[in-house]
Amino acid sequence: MTVSRRQLYFFLACVAPAGKLILLPARLAESAKNDLLLPAAIHLALQAAAVFCALLLCERGETLHDMLAATFGRVAAKIFLTVFSVFLAYAAFLPLLEEKLFVQSVYYDTLPSITSFAPFFLFAAYLAAKPIRALGRVWDILGIVAAIGYAGILILSAGSADYAALAPAGGSGMGILLGVLRTWGWFFDAALLLPLAGHIEAKKGTAWRGALFYLVGSAAVLLFLAVFYGIFQETATNQLFAIAATSKYFSGVSMLGRVDYAFVFLLGLVVLFLSALPVQGCVECLLQAYGREHHLPAFLSVGISAVLLALVLVCDFRFGDVMSVISGTLFWIFPLFSVLVPALCLALRRSHA
Amino acid sequence: MTVFSAPAPRAGAVFPFGVPHKFRPPPHTPCMKTVTGNLEKDVSALKKLLPAEDIPTFSFLSGGGLPFTAVYADAVTDKELLGEQVIEPLLGYGNDPDPAHVARRISSPEARLKRSLPELAEEVLEGNPVLLWEGGKEGLAVGTKQVFSRAVAEPSTDVVIKGPREGFVEDVKINSSLVRRRFKTGELRIDTVTVGRRSKTVVCVCYLEGTSVQSTVDGIKEKLGRIDIDYVPDSSYLTHFLAERPHSLVKQIGTTEKPDIFCAKIAEGRVGLLVDGSPIALTAPYLLIEDFQSSEDYFVPAYRATFTRLLRLFALLVAIYFPAFYISAQLFKLQLFPVKLLLTIAGSIRDIPFSPSIEMLLVLLVLEVLNEASIRMPKYVGMALSVVGALVLGETAVSAGFVSTPAIIIIAFSGIGLYAVPNLIEVTSVLRLAMLLVAGSVGTFGILLLSGFCLFYLVTCENFGVPLVAPFSPLVGRDLRDSLVKFNLRSLPLRPRTLKSPNRRRLK
Repeated sequence: MTVSRRQLYFFLACVAPAGKLILLPARLAESAKNDLLLPAAIHLALQAAAVFCALLLCERGETLHDMLAATFGRVAAKIFLTVFSVFLAYAAFLPLLEEKLFVQSVYYDTLPSITSFAPFFLFAAYLAAKPIRALGRVWDILGIVAAIGYAGILILSAGSADYAALAPAGGSGMGILLGVLRTWGWFFDAALLLPLAGHIEAKKGTAWRGALFYLVGSAAVLLFLAVFYGIFQETATNQLFAIAATSKYFSGVSMLGRVDYAFVFLLGLVVLFLSALPVQGCVECLLQAYGREHHLPAFLSVGISAVLLALVLVCDFRFGDVMSVISGTLFWIFPLFSVLVPALCLALRRSHA
Repeated sequence: MTVFSAPAPRAGAVFPFGVPHKFRPPPHTPCMKTVTGNLEKDVSALKKLLPAEDIPTFSFLSGGGLPFTAVYADAVTDKELLGEQVIEPLLGYGNDPDPAHVARRISSPEARLKRSLPELAEEVLEGNPVLLWEGGKEGLAVGTKQVFSRAVAEPSTDVVIKGPREGFVEDVKINSSLVRRRFKTGELRIDTVTVGRRSKTVVCVCYLEGTSVQSTVDGIKEKLGRIDIDYVPDSSYLTHFLAERPHSLVKQIGTTEKPDIFCAKIAEGRVGLLVDGSPIALTAPYLLIEDFQSSEDYFVPAYRATFTRLLRLFALLVAIYFPAFYISAQLFKLQLFPVKLLLTIAGSIRDIPFSPSIEMLLVLLVLEVLNEASIRMPKYVGMALSVVGALVLGETAVSAGFVSTPAIIIIAFSGIGLYAVPNLIEVTSVLRLAMLLVAGSVGTFGILLLSGFCLFYLVTCENFGVPLVAPFSPLVGRDLRDSLVKFNLRSLPLRPRTLKSPNRRRLK
């Protein structure tokens, strides 16, 4: 069982964009206002290039560990994979906090206790304990689910938007640059692909097709951002959970209730898997580095999930501070690992094995 | 437990379901014994192996004065046939003790000469009387087994308006004849395997040579060969041994009671199993989508079949999720209800003493009890049960203020929806309960999480190398033509790619 090219394209075009529809739109609107499409487009273009590099590496059909070991030796490979797994655990933190806030705000009328979110870590541990290549099969289904959810929300909300609010473009000046800097934490898709190297069906042409599909998904994100800002305009900054907010002005809501939540729940399901993906990547990197003896996958997945749960518990009411550290002081970590590393990895030699 | 293959009947004797004794050690026999030719000693030795009171002997002399003794199992031997085909012809026989001559004299098409007494004992136990005679160095087992079986009738679990109405019965011979009648080709292989140390249950492995995947056939035979159980009362016992995840909540082996479905599945490249004593045939590899398909879908226009399949899926989703979402909306997210409906619900639950989840669980429990009781209850009491269930428990419980009307409506709808896909009822009823529990404790997020768990679990399930959720995951575009949607028969020229049949084309 390997991740087929179709499954990979489903992930890049449908699944990966879903993670950018929750907090990111409000965050972009906060910095770039009506120019929120520009920083998003810059990020997406950079990620498309990084995805291209990562998939070029995957075309070789070898694991990251094998390629690193062939070039730098086993010890260096172990060190790199350990560091990379730490990055993935760090990268997992923001989606987890985002998911927690999303769950607490959208799925409940009143603020529930953190224990209601805790079962997610069981889910993440379960997923991470399974072979990462099993993900391909889920993407087959999640791709369709995400497309339905996304299309449903857009259909219900596109009519309510005033697209003139996006003009004039480029007026935010430094806000665009600020938008790019503050939202790095949402763009590390290429880094998620690196642990998959060796598990993806290795065929020529995967890289450029993958990048193309990523751009298709990016276009969908940009369309969503346009609709989002067209509806909320200056108040967009306050609409923290964009996918749940965008379609709430649908005229049928007063008659039928929040029917749009059907689509929100579909995307919510996709986001569940997406939030667990960095944890899976982290476990996979460690397994590549240290072997898969006996129950190590299970121990690692449970251990990493437990650590993340503890961190989320600690940071429960400090989301603002965490955000300012991740997207402020430590923002450089994301471009380093999600853009530079995939590009540098192209220099790796093929292993003789 | 032995596995063997019987592709074609031997010349001169037709016994396709005969058990391959020569491969099998006899039960409870410390040492092998053979027929000596001394009638008294041989009968005594055979009776030692078969001391049961219902295994009598019958002695007679041939026309030439040669003493014969027939040993038979009283309850399972057709004595009339024994008289007609064996004893009567031998009354006119001379006194030549040569086994070949004796075997030629009798008029049964199933006659086997055997030297080993334990093997002859097994024949007796299977209902085939054994003939011993003075000077004979072999015993003669004659196939005059008495078969008690109900008539072939439409199975109550799979009723159709259009299409064949035959259903399997408990006798494996009749069942395999129903299969053989539908495939008039030598490619149909019916291999026999016996399972069960004491029951020696005959299992027929049916497949089309060149169409089914040989590794699947071998895998099934190997798994059957490894079963070491004393008694196999029904085919469902075998599913535990054939499944790759025996403790799985989801079934992994297909089941059907209808020969037309069974044969259609074999024609697609699957392998079928007929188990003696069970009217439920098994098929492998199993795809989850199979249970959303009915045989009738193939006898009605494609658009109608598509509609009914989608309806089944909708009914199933409603059955599983509707009670759970109602509870989670009521407890955690009232926004999900439109205002007017919310007011109606608020009015109906105002005086209910229980929390919504407890209330729903109670109603669900009552439904499950009623369901269980109605299946086991004698038919005469059924009407009374309906009255008690509908009026006393339903109407009175609402008017007494124990449960609310929406709860009863939702559970009733869910209960009906579950039966839209009857083959999955064991799984879906448990899933509905699990969804209800997480909805009551964690809310909508719990429902999504559990759905995520189930989704990931399902996509990782495989049996005989075929993914359970195919053709959706992995997505096989062409196979989607006969999945939840159904294309016209002309648009289905190929067998499902998922099943990896070596012979892909079925329509030219």
